[in-house]
Amino acid sequence: MNAISVNNLTRDYGTLRAVDHISFEVESGEFFGFLGPNGAGKTTTIRMLTGLSEPSEGTASIMGCDITRDAFHAKEHFGIVPEVSNIYEDLSAWNNLMFAGELYGLSQPERTRRARELLEIFDLTGFRDKKAQGFSKGMRRKLTLAMALIHEPEILFLDEPTSGLDVQSSLLLKEILSRLNREGTTIFLTTHMLEEANTLCNRVAIIVKGRLAAVDAPEKLKKTIQTTQSVEVSLDSMTSQVTADLTAIKTVTSSRHEGDKFRLFTPDPAVVATAIFEYAQAHRLKIISINTVGPSLEDAFLSIVQRQGDSRTEGRP
Amino acid sequence: MTTSSPPARIWRELRSAWAITKKDARIYYLRPGSIMFGILFPLFLFISFAIGRDLPAGVLVPGLMAISVFFAASSIGPMAVPTERKTKTYERMITAPVSPLSILVGEIVGGAIFGAIIAAIPLIIGIVFYGTLIVNPIGLIGVLVLVSFAFSAMGIMFAAIPTDNPGDVMMILNFIRLPLLFISGIFIPVSAMGMYGAVALISPLTYAKDMIQYVLTGTGYYGPFTDVIGMLIFTGIFLWIGVRLHERNRKSG
Repeated sequence: MNAISVNNLTRDYGTLRAVDHISFEVESGEFFGFLGPNGAGKTTTIRMLTGLSEPSEGTASIMGCDITRDAFHAKEHFGIVPEVSNIYEDLSAWNNLMFAGELYGLSQPERTRRARELLEIFDLTGFRDKKAQGFSKGMRRKLTLAMALIHEPEILFLDEPTSGLDVQSSLLLKEILSRLNREGTTIFLTTHMLEEANTLCNRVAIIVKGRLAAVDAPEKLKKTIQTTQSVEVSLDSMTSQVTADLTAIKTVTSSRHEGDKFRLFTPDPAVVATAIFEYAQAHRLKIISINTVGPSLEDAFLSIVQRQGDSRTEGRP
Repeated sequence: MTTSSPPARIWRELRSAWAITKKDARIYYLRPGSIMFGILFPLFLFISFAIGRDLPAGVLVPGLMAISVFFAASSIGPMAVPTERKTKTYERMITAPVSPLSILVGEIVGGAIFGAIIAAIPLIIGIVFYGTLIVNPIGLIGVLVLVSFAFSAMGIMFAAIPTDNPGDVMMILNFIRLPLLFISGIFIPVSAMGMYGAVALISPLTYAKDMIQYVLTGTGYYGPFTDVIGMLIFTGIFLWIGVRLHERNRKSG
């Protein structure tokens, strides 16, 4: 059975169509990424799927339960971690978890057991009786995730879960999400962090201006823009003359600075790499690093977003 | 018994509603806004009315109890709902397997308990300082349950105003609550209002005050039957409008 089925889902706000007849399916046990630029319709979609708003057209179901007609049973199957950590600041971590457990109909012994487990997993046991208002951003995020997991849901919706977190908290969260997924939880993740989607997701959907532009595995999406290969080089001297010379190498189509590195896009990385070695030798420059780089998910994303944006602009009267 | 069976579902909904009530009690009863609009405001209003007038306890205590329950019960919803919209915790309840009606019932009961507790304060003052006797103690409990539920439902209805600032709701709510004080027989008995006494019928506070007076003293203006029917009609209206407005807000996302 599909964990999530979306069929022609549409949402209008007055004359603005925020989500435009999107259809996709998420299989049970899948780690599914939902990507798109700001205002593309990601949050609107997640809000419809979780019952926070209703579709203007189309249907969606969670574990076979229609989100509109059988909302009660649909909601039993998922937990949600919204973009904002929605915890009760005036309650302790323990009481937040107890409240979440009660909302999901857990008995007293069940919610006590789960709360203890989750506090342990998220390293919050020492803070169980502390009011959440004194918690750091990372701790709030962990408590929000713990509350979403209190009823051991089959599906977990996450809206930008690592946004604003420090590296350590972000890594811990990703590790926990990976483990949950390995243990069978279906994960629906919206994120701006494409590297996060690239490493975590089995498949990603890209939504642009309310329409689905692509749904596929990250590697397959990258292959669709295989022409976007590049050579990334760092020399001990990167003057404007040097970068101009490198950009003038035959077969280089474009270039850009990336920190202390210079990236040259080309359909033939071997030719460019050889030319760089020759140039460095001739000008007595030291190569600090040189790598050939395939297209990233970010490249694929940008290419798809641009294509979709162009086609929609062209399609307009 | 699975949650598919109606009795299990109802039991589950009641438990969830009770969880929401407990949460409101923990978080909102001692909030400055609840104390200000629910306790101090009506208390000072009544004191300013009562001072210098030699009113019998049979008029003073029911009036103060009615005002207390009216303001206190109707203040929790307008405090809690917009605050939770702001912190997005209201969304937590909407995304849980709890019906919209159960969420509102949980919020209403939270306000109702607060209202009943606050109404007990003037009653205790009446008993201790004025020797107030309760003619019908069981009836008084029933009346407090009905009245505080009705006024809390009124507060929840106003809490449907789509804002995340409790002050916005309180402002509009007070625009309605304050005029009701003057047409409900609190400051001027309905019997002394002459032809304007008919206006009192459109105020739920009229029936509340009359019911409280009846169970405390054994006399009332309209009688218990009219009071109960009036109160039930208003409760039904508040619930009906409240559920629809909150649901409309949710659907519009």
